[in-house]
Amino acid sequence: MVYLLPQAVERAAARYPDREAVRISGQSLTYSQLMGRINRLAQVLIDQGVHRGDRVGIYLNKSLESAVALYGIMQAGAAYVPLDPFAPIARLRFVIQDCGIEHLITKETKLEQLSELLAQPSGVKCVIGVGAQPELPERCFTWDEIYSAPVDTPPGVGITEQDLAYILYTSGSTGDPKGIMHTHRSGLSFAEWGATTYGLTHEDRLSNHAPLHFDLSTFDFFAGALAGACTSIIPEALTKFPASLSKLMQDERISVWYSVPYALIQLLQRGNLASRDLSALRWVLFAGEVFPTKHLRELMAQLPQARFSNLYGPTETNVCTYYHVDQLPPDSDEPIPIGRICENDGGLVVNADNEPVPPGEVGELLITGGTVMHGYWGQPEKTERGFYRRKTDSLSEEIFYRTGDLVQLQADGNYKYLGRKDRQIKTRGYRVELDEIETALLSYELIEEAAVYPIPDGEGSNLIEAAVIPKQNVNLTSAELETHLAKRLPSYAIPAKIIITADFPRTSTGKINRRELQAQAAALAESH
Amino acid sequence: MDKQTILMDYVKKELMKGRSANISASDDLLSAGIIDSLGVLQMVAFIEERFGFQVPDEDVVYENFHSIQALANYLDKSS
Repeated sequence: MVYLLPQAVERAAARYPDREAVRISGQSLTYSQLMGRINRLAQVLIDQGVHRGDRVGIYLNKSLESAVALYGIMQAGAAYVPLDPFAPIARLRFVIQDCGIEHLITKETKLEQLSELLAQPSGVKCVIGVGAQPELPERCFTWDEIYSAPVDTPPGVGITEQDLAYILYTSGSTGDPKGIMHTHRSGLSFAEWGATTYGLTHEDRLSNHAPLHFDLSTFDFFAGALAGACTSIIPEALTKFPASLSKLMQDERISVWYSVPYALIQLLQRGNLASRDLSALRWVLFAGEVFPTKHLRELMAQLPQARFSNLYGPTETNVCTYYHVDQLPPDSDEPIPIGRICENDGGLVVNADNEPVPPGEVGELLITGGTVMHGYWGQPEKTERGFYRRKTDSLSEEIFYRTGDLVQLQADGNYKYLGRKDRQIKTRGYRVELDEIETALLSYELIEEAAVYPIPDGEGSNLIEAAVIPKQNVNLTSAELETHLAKRLPSYAIPAKIIITADFPRTSTGKINRRELQAQAAALAESH
Repeated sequence: MDKQTILMDYVKKELMKGRSANISASDDLLSAGIIDSLGVLQMVAFIEERFGFQVPDEDVVYENFHSIQALANYLDKSS
């Protein structure tokens, strides 16, 4: 029985011990080798004081150890917390302290940032993946030490499917990232749905394009392991080069691709797809953002051997709706729908008073079911606000997650996505809270007021722009503000343009008119 | 100015946006997170404008763009 995520690897190791489980840059691990490494890491973690429910950080560039780390942590009964390897130090320190990480898994390549990160007290007591260093805690273990541990049997920690499995941090509107908690059950619910829906088998080769801290990666690892398939981890650097990426798709014989639309549009426009042999490709899955129909049509024409599927769901729900794109109308660029609710979830569309709306009317999409998160780490009130409870009888209730997304049920049974209720946007597939960027700008003492707004990039995504008013008699440069933001925000959340101005357009009540700022910027962009 | 200096200037001023202060011509721009996918596109546009050299898509690969030095070598070979 598989009720914990690492049991998927255990089962695959029993069935397919010598088949490859993970690959990256010409290196690979079979399921049997991966299982041995997972158990050794889990045992060391337990020996070093990791208990059921503890949070263990992963601070790694993509590598074979990414797979060993995430499963090894869960095998020890703890939850893994992937840290963005490119995030500013202050943001990493926030996450480490927010969820109380005492054990951190890393590699020598991160040593420089690690020393800076741990130079100030952080709570981290044990580092795995590097040798002893003066700046680091006393307890450090190299990967060689981990892998030479004598025991390679499962440590056997008594946890249930309700235990915490992983926490993914995303942009939060108050200025600090928030931790989305998933259990073994919610992760497995999604993985089982994915493995079934896309008919994964042990002969499949899945891409892992997304970084670990991005929820798309859970499909690549969890659904892959359930099927005994091989996951081909794509090094971060290659994801920036469409021509390198299409060659990797060919050479790795990827059969199931999963990424944000942005990566696929890049592949289409600069990847020389026509020159590659992609005959192994059978599914192209995408999520995270709207895929502009005109590009999708072109991509589907380039890859007639593959089927296409649009997956939708905030990180809080893993994935909760899907739409197989088998045909696109030749004469309309109408956005594709987000489709039907996943078989193991349930949906409800409500108005502002939480009353269900009749089919066809616009409302907020609420989701219930196994894929839904446990809550936000350390934030019971925010968690409660994120859920909607409905009594089904005197004893039971249904709990729905409020997606904050406005949808409309179409006559054909598919949901259409219409936009956000709040100020959260997507930029190149990354989820960003505009208020978080404003808060970061306002923390700069020379700024009087700040406004941040999205500018549609004409490709279905957004660029971020900011306008600021400096304090009186202060000369500000956008360069110093970028430097300030770079210390607080991930690079994708830094505005493409920061305008320094004497005043903003205002509403009649004197509030900043962000809509007007946005319209001005859009008009300016169009006139160029 | 030679190509390497011009490229270094561009990377520092336009792409790094205040992240890590010191880089050398041989540093890996990708692994260090100095440039992202948008940065690669900006870099190609800059090269095309500054050196009047059209970079074919098949040349926009990791091997040619991983460091300032690699990029300068590529440009010397190709333009």
